[in-house]
Amino acid sequence: MKYAFFPGCVSQGGAPELYTATKLICSKLGIEIEEISGWTCCGAGVMQEKNQLFGDTLNARTFAKAEELGLPILTICSTCQGVMGQANLRMKRDPEYLAEINSHLAEEGLEYKGTAEPKHLLWILIEDFGLDSLVPHLTRSLSGLRVAPFYGCYIVRPTEALDIEDHPERQTSLESLIETVGATLIDFEGKTRCCGFPILTINEKNSLAMVGKHTSEVKDLGADAMVTPCPLCHLNLDGYQPRAAKQLNRSISLPILHLPQLIGLAMGFSHQELGLQKHIVNTQPIQLKVGAGAS
Amino acid sequence: MLEHDVLIIGAGLAGMRAAIAAKAGGANTAILSKVHPVRSHSNAAQGGINAALTDRGDRWEDHAYDTVKGSDFLGDQDAIEVMCRAAGKSLIDMEHMGVTFSRDDEGKLGTRNFGGQPIARTFFVGDFTGQALLHVMFEQLVKSGVQSYEEWFVTSLIQDGEQIAGVLALEIRTGVLHAIRAKTVIFCTGGCGRLFEPSTNALIVTGDGMGLAYNAGAQLMDMEMVQYHPTTLAGSGVLISEAARGEGAYLRDKDGNRFMEKYAPNMMELASRDVVSRSEQTEINAGNGVNGCVYLDCTHLGEALIMEKLSQIRELGIDLAGADMIKEPIPIRPGMHYIMGGIKTDIDGRTNVPGVYAAGECANVSVHGGNRLGANSLLDTIVFGERSGRHAAEAASGMDFIEFNESAVVRQEESRIQQMLDRPENGDRWGSIRQDLGDSMNKNLAVYRDQAGMQETLNLIPGLKSRYAGVPVQNKGRVFNTDLVFALELGYMLDCGEAITASALERKESRGAQARTDFPSRDDDNWLKHITVTKGEQGVELGTLPVTITKWTPEERKY
Amino acid sequence: MDVKVKIRRYDPDIESPVSYWEEFSLAVPETATVLDALIQIREDMDGTLSLRCSCRSAICGSCAMRVNGHAVLACQTKASESLDSEGIITVEPAGVMPVMKDLVVNFDPFWEKIRTVEPYLQPQGPEPEGEYIASNESMLHLSGVTACIMCGACVSDCTVLEVDPTFLGPAALAKAYRFTADPRDGNAEGVSQRRLEQLSMPSGMWDCTRCNECVQACPKGVAPMDRIMSLREQAMDVGLGNNNGARHAEAFTELVAHSGRLDELRLPVKTVGMFNIPALLSFVPIGLRAMTHGKLPPLMHKSVANVQNIRRLFNKVNQSR
Repeated sequence: MKYAFFPGCVSQGGAPELYTATKLICSKLGIEIEEISGWTCCGAGVMQEKNQLFGDTLNARTFAKAEELGLPILTICSTCQGVMGQANLRMKRDPEYLAEINSHLAEEGLEYKGTAEPKHLLWILIEDFGLDSLVPHLTRSLSGLRVAPFYGCYIVRPTEALDIEDHPERQTSLESLIETVGATLIDFEGKTRCCGFPILTINEKNSLAMVGKHTSEVKDLGADAMVTPCPLCHLNLDGYQPRAAKQLNRSISLPILHLPQLIGLAMGFSHQELGLQKHIVNTQPIQLKVGAGAS
Repeated sequence: MLEHDVLIIGAGLAGMRAAIAAKAGGANTAILSKVHPVRSHSNAAQGGINAALTDRGDRWEDHAYDTVKGSDFLGDQDAIEVMCRAAGKSLIDMEHMGVTFSRDDEGKLGTRNFGGQPIARTFFVGDFTGQALLHVMFEQLVKSGVQSYEEWFVTSLIQDGEQIAGVLALEIRTGVLHAIRAKTVIFCTGGCGRLFEPSTNALIVTGDGMGLAYNAGAQLMDMEMVQYHPTTLAGSGVLISEAARGEGAYLRDKDGNRFMEKYAPNMMELASRDVVSRSEQTEINAGNGVNGCVYLDCTHLGEALIMEKLSQIRELGIDLAGADMIKEPIPIRPGMHYIMGGIKTDIDGRTNVPGVYAAGECANVSVHGGNRLGANSLLDTIVFGERSGRHAAEAASGMDFIEFNESAVVRQEESRIQQMLDRPENGDRWGSIRQDLGDSMNKNLAVYRDQAGMQETLNLIPGLKSRYAGVPVQNKGRVFNTDLVFALELGYMLDCGEAITASALERKESRGAQARTDFPSRDDDNWLKHITVTKGEQGVELGTLPVTITKWTPEERKY
Repeated sequence: MDVKVKIRRYDPDIESPVSYWEEFSLAVPETATVLDALIQIREDMDGTLSLRCSCRSAICGSCAMRVNGHAVLACQTKASESLDSEGIITVEPAGVMPVMKDLVVNFDPFWEKIRTVEPYLQPQGPEPEGEYIASNESMLHLSGVTACIMCGACVSDCTVLEVDPTFLGPAALAKAYRFTADPRDGNAEGVSQRRLEQLSMPSGMWDCTRCNECVQACPKGVAPMDRIMSLREQAMDVGLGNNNGARHAEAFTELVAHSGRLDELRLPVKTVGMFNIPALLSFVPIGLRAMTHGKLPPLMHKSVANVQNIRRLFNKVNQSR
């Protein structure tokens, strides 16, 4: 299994632990990932507000480069996945639009032929790799670890840009994964709601209210951790959790895991290897619950 | 004490237009509706609105003639002239208010073909013109600042002798009963479709205004003229717009034949609605349908046209009948849709009850006579809504409020309602009474009627009324007690049902929407007149009124 | 088809009312909608159930409610497709708006927001005698927004309104866009400057968190969030950039166009304004914490290889617009 790897900006800057954890588990699982050379930011939906054409052009460029590699794209960020899916849908629905974009890419010698189907690691593990195939790699028991899912808006809506009709199992993918790795699922309605990251610098009060609402809710349900496939959600849910707790006038202290970190824990990697010490909210309680090294 | 110069009951297109006109006329105006204005049934109109624009070489006289002919010469031609003359300006006014009408290549208002009219003068917004107009009218209502009583339900009228003095209304949200004093009242309460089962009409269309007016002494007219729309969806009975045929769709029998050739070789699928419905019913009765339906075939229109101009009905076909009109014909059949009959008014909206006006589907001026042309209803609501609002405001400026003892009338009404709430639970629920009424109306007062069938329905009504007298209300609460509202509505429906059936029996001819197998021809000598219904000591009292003829002598009606 | 409908009920008429669940078991036709089931319950089983409904054909907007946790029109939702693994359909009143009784919510806050955006055409200048001349394309575009039936599904599921009731919300903002995008509204060029100014204020267009709930919930394809994005574009185009939201979008684009990837340190600085000392100071504790945890993005942001390709692409794309 080989993929064109699209890391996304945040895994290079504010969430480097995601990048290392991803490479670690893919390597162990035999999922070969070749980073797309010269990949550019997906736009995160923000650039699309100002200049949708430029955003779509940059994503088309990424798709074209992956086509050159002859490999399907692997993403590790809900936002990248969603934005790419929406861009792809626009280009597929309007051949004239795609032609216009290709006219801009031509100067670099690139052409997007319309075949890209970017997939998040979460979907790849379920659909391509198979959860059954994952089980033999799970050498550390996570029994007793209570984990709540948090998807991140862009990987659940709008459904038409995420191929949900053909893949309805994507809507419960995180829950399936949590159960497969042996953790206890803490389900809650807010799992598909918003973490507030996009409005962090626009309306901090509301952004923190969202963080506070979701993390405190699952904390009160007894969760030991929350897992998310989106590093932007992680930045808010983890990085701004202390501020959110202060705004709510209560303590929360809920560790937030990146998707590959949860899987990596079950695969026996150490806390250190997975970068869990980098988090803002202390992840020690998890270490204490599941043990330090590989078992 | 709540009091207004002009109180409008019903906040659909006619009601809101009347309210805006009355306020503009300087009256202390209020509008009252049992649902929020944008929930009114005007939003279900799909196809378009007619107008003859002179700068396109069209003439209001031609529109009027088409309307007169469409009415099978039962329409009052002075009223039709008023409507058709005013149509052009009304249309432009709506556009200036912001309606997003379809445009032609030059950016001017675009048209589509519609039933009963040899040239295209129907202006439209996709296939949801009613919704588009209604929402713009609501925007204008907001702009005008007219006071609005939302989710209030009128339970009785207050009269001093014949003269209207006010209304009693239930505030649905709280269950509190209020008296509102009014110098004039305009009924804009729409039709009575729910007394037929099935019907294209929404659940709220229960003939409230017609029932209230009738019980207050108003004359109802042409009640037998009930329109069965040719294309209602199999199963749910929901409307599939005439616009599909206007854009070129065909009607086919089970073998794929375009049977309209036999009945209206000239206008084909775009003959007047009564003609098309009868044709379909004849084919279905002869065994050329499937499951009581024939087919509407849009497959040759192409995906682009359907997505641009017929997107809503395509969705309905998919959602409610599992058929995508881009790829396959959809099953349709005639279904009860509209009532041409209603509260008799003059061309300014006045009824025979002093201070009471009416406009829109609940009124009968008469512009539609025996059969309404498609896209004339939206026009009717706006033209006569405006006129009645304006005239009511004018009349009110010269009137005083009538005094009455507010707390006494409220207490009396409260005890009447309490009596209903206190009834034992063993009576028939309102739903079953309505179902029996609806089934009977649809069986005997549909496209084809005869003496025996209609008499069967008329005989049923006293029994239904006595069951109604004991109808229990399960919900004893105050807040949002819809069970109580439905029970009250049923009373109005029964009165309308009686009026319709009695009038249909009385008219011993076939004209417009009334097609009797025992009197299959039109009989101008004896029946070129309106049939009226008033409430008498013994119940329904029938009468007649002459048809106003100005320019167009009645002739044979062929399409 | 046997179904179980679990309804969250509320009766304000009893003493100390609280919401409670009630489950009904009934048989409905295969083709029944959730609304059909609710009407059947109301008519045949329990007349005390209150809900708003009218047209049964997705045009009146009365029956918006949450089915299995998401806002839909009950009349447009098939019962057979709404059953969970135990054959239960879960029905609750629409979110955000206060519950009055059972499935009936108080729409007053909804209508209040609609009125706030001055929801009627305001052309400047003289009215033409006939119709305004306008392209069919522009009218079709607007009809996509006027298709809104004011059902409230978008408001019900809005994640911002869930934490902040002062937000104008998707329905009101989409309605506002219907006018800013109308060539007849505003000045001769169809620019509604005053509207855009008001909508750019706090709790307006920039407060949307871009979560797509409203796009997903809307039964008429209005896509309110997309309209809010268009409002943002319109506002930036007429120079209304003096707010964090606009600066954020503009800075993001500039930074990526310049180096190919996002400079996560510069972005927040440019968003709040380089001279906005209080805001910059508020970033310091976060920044310090990130630094001590090894999560601070590099101070010297690296451009992608051959970044001139990206810069050239940016210029080319802009020239074509």
